[in-house]
Amino acid sequence: MISKSLFTKLGPQSIWIVALLFLIAAVVPLLNLALPESHPLHVPSYLVGLFGKYLCYAMLALALDLVWGYCGILSLGHGAFFALGGYAMGMYLMRQIGTRGVYAHPTLPDFMVFLNWEELPWFWLGFDQFWFAALMVVAVPGLLAFVFGWFAFRSRVTGVYLSIITQAMTYALLLAFFRNDMGFGGNNGLTDFKDMLGVSLQSDGTRAALFSATAVALGLSFLLCSLIVNSKFGKLLVAIRDAESRARFLGYRVEHFKLFAFVVSAMIAGVAGALYVPQVGIINPGEFAPANSIEVVIWTAVGGRGTLFGPIFGALLVNGGKSYFTAAYPEYWLFALGGLFVLVTLFLPKGIVGVLSQLRSAAQKQLGQRASAETGAKPEAAE
Amino acid sequence: MKRFIRHVALLLAFALCAVPAAQADEELTHLISALANGKLKEMPAKISALEKAGNSKIVPLFEALSAGTLFYRKADKAVFITRSSADGITLMAPLTLQEQGVTTKKSLKKIKVNNKLRRQLKTAIANLTLLSPDVSLRLSAAKELFKSSDPAVLPLLEEALHQESDASVRQAMQESYAAMTLRTQHASQQHRLDAIETLKAMGNQQALSVLTGFVASASEPEERDAATSVIASINKRLARWSVAQNVWYGLSLGSVLLLAAIGLAITFGVMGVINMAHGEMVMIGAYTTFMVQEVIRNSFPGLFDYSLAFALPLAFLASGAVGFAMERGIIRFLYGRPLETLLATWGVSLMLQQAVRTVFGPTNKEVGNPDWMSGAFELGAMTLTANRIWILAFAFVVFAVLLVVLRRTQFGLEVRAVTQNRRMAASMGIRTPWIDALTFALGSGIAGMAGVALSQISNVSPNLGQLYIIDSFMVVVFGGVGNLWGTFVGAMTLGVANKFLEPYAGAVLAKILTLVFIILFIQKKPRGLFALKGRAVDL
Amino acid sequence: MVHLTKKASMAASVGLIATTVLTSAVQAAETIKVGILHSLSGTMAISETTLKDVMLMLIEEQNKKGGVLGKQLEPVVVDPASDWPLFAEKARELLAVHKVSAVFGNWTSVSRKSVLPVFEELNGMLFYPVQYEGEESQRNVFYTGAAPNQQAIPAVDYLIENEEVERWVLAGTDYVYPRTTNKILEAYLKSKGVADEDMMINYTPFGHSDWQTIVADIKTFGSSGKKTAVVSTINGDANVPFYKELGNQGISAQDIPVVAFSVGEEELAGLDASPLVGHLAAWNYFQSVETEANEEFIEAWQEFTGDDNRVTNDPMEAHYIGFNMWVKAVEKAGTTDVDSVIDSIVGVSVPNLSGGYSAMMPNHHITKPVLIGEIQEDGQFDIVDETDGLVAGDAWSDYLPESAKLIADWRAPMACGNFNVETKSCGGVVSN
Repeated sequence: MISKSLFTKLGPQSIWIVALLFLIAAVVPLLNLALPESHPLHVPSYLVGLFGKYLCYAMLALALDLVWGYCGILSLGHGAFFALGGYAMGMYLMRQIGTRGVYAHPTLPDFMVFLNWEELPWFWLGFDQFWFAALMVVAVPGLLAFVFGWFAFRSRVTGVYLSIITQAMTYALLLAFFRNDMGFGGNNGLTDFKDMLGVSLQSDGTRAALFSATAVALGLSFLLCSLIVNSKFGKLLVAIRDAESRARFLGYRVEHFKLFAFVVSAMIAGVAGALYVPQVGIINPGEFAPANSIEVVIWTAVGGRGTLFGPIFGALLVNGGKSYFTAAYPEYWLFALGGLFVLVTLFLPKGIVGVLSQLRSAAQKQLGQRASAETGAKPEAAE
Repeated sequence: MKRFIRHVALLLAFALCAVPAAQADEELTHLISALANGKLKEMPAKISALEKAGNSKIVPLFEALSAGTLFYRKADKAVFITRSSADGITLMAPLTLQEQGVTTKKSLKKIKVNNKLRRQLKTAIANLTLLSPDVSLRLSAAKELFKSSDPAVLPLLEEALHQESDASVRQAMQESYAAMTLRTQHASQQHRLDAIETLKAMGNQQALSVLTGFVASASEPEERDAATSVIASINKRLARWSVAQNVWYGLSLGSVLLLAAIGLAITFGVMGVINMAHGEMVMIGAYTTFMVQEVIRNSFPGLFDYSLAFALPLAFLASGAVGFAMERGIIRFLYGRPLETLLATWGVSLMLQQAVRTVFGPTNKEVGNPDWMSGAFELGAMTLTANRIWILAFAFVVFAVLLVVLRRTQFGLEVRAVTQNRRMAASMGIRTPWIDALTFALGSGIAGMAGVALSQISNVSPNLGQLYIIDSFMVVVFGGVGNLWGTFVGAMTLGVANKFLEPYAGAVLAKILTLVFIILFIQKKPRGLFALKGRAVDL
Repeated sequence: MVHLTKKASMAASVGLIATTVLTSAVQAAETIKVGILHSLSGTMAISETTLKDVMLMLIEEQNKKGGVLGKQLEPVVVDPASDWPLFAEKARELLAVHKVSAVFGNWTSVSRKSVLPVFEELNGMLFYPVQYEGEESQRNVFYTGAAPNQQAIPAVDYLIENEEVERWVLAGTDYVYPRTTNKILEAYLKSKGVADEDMMINYTPFGHSDWQTIVADIKTFGSSGKKTAVVSTINGDANVPFYKELGNQGISAQDIPVVAFSVGEEELAGLDASPLVGHLAAWNYFQSVETEANEEFIEAWQEFTGDDNRVTNDPMEAHYIGFNMWVKAVEKAGTTDVDSVIDSIVGVSVPNLSGGYSAMMPNHHITKPVLIGEIQEDGQFDIVDETDGLVAGDAWSDYLPESAKLIADWRAPMACGNFNVETKSCGGVVSN
């Protein structure tokens, strides 16, 4: 009963995508682990790791799309939420090293030992427990988004101003995390992880499991976002995006809706970051760099904002392209990347997925016209 | 053999001049040729010997040694002062300074010096020129001796003081005398108390350093107390000046921010284009300066001091042209979609960076400071560096000119008309696309001119633009989009705030605090310091 | 429709990468592959691009000599774009997809840290050519740059002996290399009897460009009457404005000398060096070293780049040494198999460019001479001091309490990078 209503609410497309993601989550590890390397369908571990990383990016882009594509909040600081989630996970992984650090210190991470820290700072306490770290992965980005959004939306900071102060936020965090005195490892960040939940991070099995976890998390986030945008609440978000003042005059507390979307989006970004860190093996302040957040915006734009599948596609496409070009044409890849952004903005303002769905509706319209011409009925008025 | 002939020739030459001088000169020549042999550690002794034996004749040699232009010929170990010229290296005899022909760099070897020797040479030069007829030489010698602690120089300084007629040189000598008195502790108590008074009148960092050193070693309590109270009063004075100094640092940082942001205040503030390639326009300006200087270095070395004057208009044109092309090629299709200009211009920015990297290489390029931009002068206890003064002045001039252009010219009127109400402006017969392109080119061109100025204090590398882009956006948004005065006040406020925070919080924390301040400020005034009123705000 | 596109795109990108895998597999039969992992774009391109070029030159020269083991070497260049996680991805690609025999790369500490687990897991070899903070010794990594005892400590010794410095400013960029180096120097200076009030430690952010306040502070600190020097661990990009500000505020090398560990010929090529004459740098190599090997190297380099003014620097020499060591070790082992080469490379000794031989130590650091140079007007260095003999790189500093207990020796039977001499156990070995 519930599943049926869910189905009708989401529409077949979303169900297909979620199902596909779950399928990937199940099949890819099988193809990687069960098949011998010589088998044509074998997926090499390198690709599993690579695509695991891309799926984290896709999740981040999806989170951004929820606020940008559906609510009109262009955040240039989403990388900050991603990085905070990553740091929370990184701190857990650091504590898991235990006495296996190079100095064999029971509690202090290596970077604290050689910089003569006496004891573990208070904000590191509790991170030896997975449940606590997992809670922090969503709580810290969520709280930051809540506080930031609470002030910003209530003061009606909008448009470009909002974008720039989100950028200021991530830039300030970048500088703060760079400081060695902060106790987060400074520029080097957190690295040299050994294992997670008792299993070694360097084994193929863990990597495949992390890949599955990421694909499932992406599927669930997709489901969550679909539910949000397809509900009445989602319609309101779109209304706010298109005419904020009008929505306010109709009596809606616009700032509450925005705040909710912003916090949910930050939490999804945090989870993406947390899944990202064990797969790449390092988290450092570079993730806070404003340029990274801008890149997320670009993935979303390339794929197509305002569609939930667009950002996922954009993140996969741009990052796949980046991986390919940085190896194949290392000297020229920035031209290709830069060119792609210019061309997409100029010629595909709705992104690749946006254009495809436009084409599709145009084709359907034509089909409909032809069909109606045949039956002699009048075509329905197009929007 | 060659060497022998040279010696004979030299001897002959001297013999012709004056017979008694010849003997002294022979000794000198001998000592000079000894410079070509031996280790760096033996050099101090050789230089003292030269100083004792010599007179003001030896000064050019000391200066050359200190500047690294003293070489010996590999073939015969003859020592020369050298000067590089167009067709090679000109050799000069170390004492007579007569030209001895031209040779290649390969046949010579430099006589090495280190800092210790350079200090010794400086003092030696000062000792030798203290009685020189040239006032400026005497002045620099007297100032140099302030750092000396050699008691042997005291009698010489006394003699010089006795003869001195020029007031400023006299003062410098008295100060140096006082410093030396306190350092060497050879004088009477009254002398030392007088010296403390002299240093009190000086009242600067240098005096402070002598006094602190004196207090540490003084034995008489009376003297120590006198010195301590003078130290306290000097410190008080310096503390007052340090506020002024901070304001100055803040203004000069503000002027850099203003320069970086002012072009953006037009492209972003006035036109609403989120121009992420703004930093690259600055970079193009800086690279233009580099190219201008390259051409001047290779073809017209005499014009080097004017290189920036040539670079300014060229940078304006170069960046302006790129801006014009960007507007016509990309941005004009995106009006009304400000957030999308961000994406396209980000792409352009990546391509421009890589283009510069491909053409000029990834490493820093050398952009020299013309003479008039080097150095510093003292104002009270403040140090004002020449390049910062020029940059501050330049930023103000650019700002003023821009203000006049926008407020007082036909073009400015049209720009304002188009940005305030495009359709109305178009129906009044203004060619809006043309105005858009020119405005964008103007903003970019100004960014290029900023690049010329920034090349004087920063790296010229493909990363240059990235350094300034975020700060520029902060300044424009803080000041209020669409308001040039806002940008001006914003830049100066942020600069001064940063510099007042820095001594307490450190450079990193100061910057973080400034950013947090901006975020909080925007909550209070969501449209910046100077918000535009009226319908334009909904753009 | 939408989900079809998705599948198609997935297939396309998998195909894309699969093609790369296939093409590289075909070539692997005839050549030995050498990976080059240096950023060609982003903030570090400024330093790292040169190192990519020098590797290409070394490989080309080796190929002219007939390659290694009768096979030609094939460079595989990738661009990690100054992006640290991308470094890890590219390292994985080099090892897993291209199956390179050795990788030469990285500049920053964080990039090295980011690729370490990859090299450990896939058992590769990394030659790291840059001076760094020490506190590391890993089986798969060979540190051909200087450890702190091969750069910082001899430099400070020089200043104490020759400049009679009594007061110290330790100025650095806020990251791990300056932090560690300054910790070591602080302990070292204290052991030499320097008081706390005679040390000023200052950290600035990356790319710091406004040095007015800090230079003024240094000036004030230096006017106490005691001879003062600055030990600078300021990172590459921030140096140009720092030196410009020093020059403008009239601080000459005779008043307050600055000794830098990150400023070499490349950095000086970007600025007018005349106000800097006399400031110092400590390296294991300078372009001005007068040896035949160096002259040949410079000539080859300038010919390779087609630029008569191209300078050489210390990390380039480190690659020169590292590459030759690898070639020699491969020839000694008779195979490019990583385990055999790791075993055979310890003890291998090759000529360096400053007239001696550098040897690979059991702790995977190398022996080098330490040179102190003074900056000259033309952006070159005059060598004013040189250690007697070679200094062996020390992975674990003796001046940090926790680190002093550790030693590294990768030869059997110890085969440990962090052996604790107090507990007599190898600290960092994964126990499960």
